[in-house]
Order: sequence, then structure tokens, then C-alpha cells
Amino acid sequence: MSEKIYACLLRLFPSHFREAYGDQAPQLFRDRARDEKGFFPRVRLWLDLLADLAISLPRQYRYVRPAFAGAVAPQRLEGTPAFFVLTDESPGSGALIFGCALSMMALSLFSILLVHAGSHRPPSASSYQRAYASDSRPFASGHASEQAPGDAQDAIRNASRVKPYETKSNDSQPKVLLPLGSSRFPDAWPPQMQDVAERKRLMNAVIDNLKKHYVDREVARKTADALLAHEKNGDDDKVADGGAFASLLTQQIRDASHDMHLEVVYSQEPLPDLLPESTAADFARYRKVMERDNCTFKKVEILPHNIGYLKLNAFPDPRVCRATATAAMASLNRADAIIFDLRDNRGGYSSMVSLIAAYLFDHPEYMYDPQESPTPHSWTLSPVAGNKLADKPAFVLTSASTNSAAEQFCYDLKMLKRVTLVGETTRGSAHAGVFHRIDDHFGMGIPEVLPVNPFSNTDWEGTGVEPDVKVDAAQALETAQKLAEGRLQKK
Amino acid sequence: MPKRKLDPLPSAAFQILLALAGEDLHGYGIMRQVAEQTESRMRLGPGTLYSSIQTLLEAKLIEELDQREDAKLGQERRRYYRLTSTGRKMARSEAQRLADLLRVARARKILRGEYV
Repeated sequence: MSEKIYACLLRLFPSHFREAYGDQAPQLFRDRARDEKGFFPRVRLWLDLLADLAISLPRQYRYVRPAFAGAVAPQRLEGTPAFFVLTDESPGSGALIFGCALSMMALSLFSILLVHAGSHRPPSASSYQRAYASDSRPFASGHASEQAPGDAQDAIRNASRVKPYETKSNDSQPKVLLPLGSSRFPDAWPPQMQDVAERKRLMNAVIDNLKKHYVDREVARKTADALLAHEKNGDDDKVADGGAFASLLTQQIRDASHDMHLEVVYSQEPLPDLLPESTAADFARYRKVMERDNCTFKKVEILPHNIGYLKLNAFPDPRVCRATATAAMASLNRADAIIFDLRDNRGGYSSMVSLIAAYLFDHPEYMYDPQESPTPHSWTLSPVAGNKLADKPAFVLTSASTNSAAEQFCYDLKMLKRVTLVGETTRGSAHAGVFHRIDDHFGMGIPEVLPVNPFSNTDWEGTGVEPDVKVDAAQALETAQKLAEGRLQKK
Repeated sequence: MPKRKLDPLPSAAFQILLALAGEDLHGYGIMRQVAEQTESRMRLGPGTLYSSIQTLLEAKLIEELDQREDAKLGQERRRYYRLTSTGRKMARSEAQRLADLLRVARARKILRGEYV
């Protein structure tokens, strides 16, 4: 009787165990039962068996026979679906019939859904692109405007820095702002600025803002005096429209202050009273766009001669993209040289500039940021644990579109003599100033912090960053590859 | 689902290797030998015993011999198991590890005695 009970319990074990030891286990039970007679030994025997079942049953069901494990492993490595065989037994006929019926039902349901879904129009590609363009607009307008809300301080700072309009020109001249999407000038363009009283009103507002907000009060006073002197000399009398007046004032301000970050801007459309503050919804949208776009890490690959290549189209917020950035850099860790392709990079966060630059040094390096006074965060967090790129040749590809934070990356690493810039002179936008609204059409950008530039008295504002090797952007990658190969051969 | 591993060597597997160090044994013989060498603290049930044997066989630490009778237990034919040279090395290295551990325990005055 006892043996029959044990034989029933043995059926709880998986089939591969029963096949291998289905004869020996009852034999062992019989041996013990024969040798352990009497009430207490028999109770102990059953307690032992129950404890043994509790311990060994889960182990047996977790266990995979090596033959199956070996067969599955290579498939998993290749990324193809893998199937685990849980039992050696072939399925019963009932299970096969049930499986067939279920498959037929699933196929029928899928067909019905396919026909039903056919009556709905899918979203068009063009609408998707429009939505995406709208979501990614902050990148086009530069460094500060990309700040997404994460903390109150950022939101307050950015509210005033946001420039909701794209610039018409990208040269070193003062900017005339046009609303996004405007394709032609209205009939009233350009507005007349021949009214002396109107010019005076604007100039006084500019002077007030300078004295109130500019980081160096003494320079602000001297600049204000220069503006008044120009007015007295009649230098402003010839301007005819708002755009020209903004340009003239900017030129006069920069001549007097020698600060290329100061500018007066004119907008054809009325400027909003309060520039919109970033919200949690904006940040969620930003996160969604970044996740969809792989945080703008467009290509991460190893080129011939073990040259690492990273094409990055923005410097995204590390709060969203730190993991993507570290993974990208880790995948290039064993490269013998590295090429950063910033030809389509429109800027982003200086914190991401520091994060990526950290891989190029084995000690902390100061990264000049035109938007910030030095803080402990101004130094890269080098050395990065496990990083092997700190002493490898590095190249950065540039174009005339390389903008803002991407220019910071180029400028700082060029000044530190850590990279070779290959391509075209960059766009020349430091976006260092905080935007102040003067009236419906005029505003000005005024730096409110005192960044420390250890390399030079000027940065890339208005001039761009000059490449070390000047070639067309289209040829930059090929050129950099040749340079890298040459550098590696010399080693 | 993970494959069963012998690193670290489970206590039951080590006891089976020790039981087979003296002579070739069948399953019940191993169980009795283990109970004897552990003063009945470890009585291997069929599930634990044969799953451990299965693992040790796959790792080639023991090998299965031809079936034969055990005169003391009747005429039933039984599968016997033998320790391989790899199994002996593994048992020795595990014993050495435990001896090292014991020395540390003595040095920390957790255990008295000087025979190890």
C-alpha cells in the first residue's frame, strides 16, 4: 500500500526524471521500508519523503537538460524567437485538436480585424512629419529653448530665455525675427521708423534694460552713453524700418561693449506678453520625442580600421537621455579613434556636452559655457569608469548648420586641443543672452551671468567655430576617416 | 530556466562524492553511507538523491556502472555508481576549501581544536 502511494507521488516528478529514475526511486523506497520497520521509523521515513518532495520537485521543474539548453542558446543569441521544450512527452491528441481549433479561431479573428481596420484611413506621413517638426521645434531655436521643465529654477530661467521665433539670418548681423511658418512679408513690411520720438522711446527702453539687467554695470553705463552720443550725432536718422533700427542699435551696443552676446531684435508679429513657461506636459512630450528618436543618436557604428563613429543630431537632456548616451559611448569604447558627426546637430544641453566630453579625458576638464558662470558642474566628470577613449584620436565633423551647444562642444574641445575639427565654420550662435521684451515688436538679448572663458576674450557668437581642416561638410567624414587612419598608422 | 550548477558544490552532491570515495555503491548504498558519515543528519530522499546523481553524471564527476545484484539486499539488479578522477579532484578541492574555512574559524576563535 505504502509503495503504491509513493508510486503516485512519484508521478508528480517531470517525465525526464521518471524516465531516468522511475525504477530506482521505488526500489530505494522499498529498501528503506524493509529496513526501517516499526511505528517511529516509518513516520520518520514518510516525513523524509515529504520533505524530499518539497525540496526536489521545484528543482526538477527548474532544471533544463543540457541538450535542450544547448540547442536554444545560439538561437537566442541571433535574436530569433526561441522555444523551450518543457517535457519530452509528445502532446496528446486532445491537446493537438484543441491547439488546432484555437489557431483557427485566432486566424479568423485576425482576418475580421484586418477587414474592419481597412475602412479607417491611417495617419498620413505628412501629418506625422508636421507633428514631429512641431515637437522638435525647440532644437531649431537653440540651446536655451530646449530646456524642459524638471525643476522650478530651469523653468523660470527658460521662460525668459525662450525665443519662440526662428532667426531669419544666420550671419553675425543682428537678428530680425520672423514667426515660424511665415513665407512672405505682409504689405506693411517694413514698418517706418522715421519718427524721432518713437526711436527715442525705443532707445530709452534699451538703455533701461541694459542698466537694469546687464551683468557689468559699468559697461552698461558706457554703452548707454555711446548710444546717446550716436543719437545726438544723428547716426540713427537714416534708418527707415524696425529691422534696420534693431541692427543699427545692436552694432552700436556691440562696438561700445565689445560683447557679441548683446543684441536688439525686431519681430514682425507681436511678441507675446509673457513667454510661455515650460510645463510637465512639455517635458513628457519631449521625453516621448526623444524616446522615439533614440535621443537623436542617429548612428553609432565602427568604421573600417576600428574607427568609432557617432552621429548625434542634438545634445539632449541627460535627465531623459543619459542611458542612451552612456550606452552609445560604451559601444565605441574599444575603438582606436572616434569621429563625432555634428554636421546636423542643432544644439541642446550643455550638461550633455559635458557628459560626452568626459569620455575624452582622464581628468576633469573645464568646459566653457557662455550661459553659465563657473560651477562645480562646469568640469567634466572624468575619468569615466572603464572608459578607454581618453587618449584616442578624436575628430568632430562640422557644417554651417552646427549650432549652439554643438558649437560649445566644438569650441571647448578645440581650445583644449583634444579634437580635430573637420568641415565648415559653424553657425555662430552662443545663445548666451536672456531675452527681454521691450514692446510688441522689439526685444533684446542680454547676458545676465559672467561666464569665464579661459581660452579667449571672445567665443563663437557671430563668428562660428573655425574648423582645423576646412572642407565641404559633404566631404568631412571621408576626410576625417583618412586623417584618423593616418594617425593610427603612425602609432 | 537555468541548468543546475555545481559551483558552489551543493552539500548533498559533496556527500555523495565522499560516499563514493571508498567504494562503488548503488543508490540505497549511497543513501546509507551518507547517513552514516553525517551521523544521520542527512538522509537523502529519492528525489534529492537521484537529481544529485543526475547532475554529477552530467558533470562527469561520477559514472554509472553495469547493473548487478547486491547479495545482501536480494536479487534485484541495481545500478552502481563510481567516482571518476575528476570527481575525486572536485571532492578534494571542496574538502580543501572547507579546511581553509575551518582554519579561519579557529583563528577567529569560533572553534577550538588543532587537528586541522
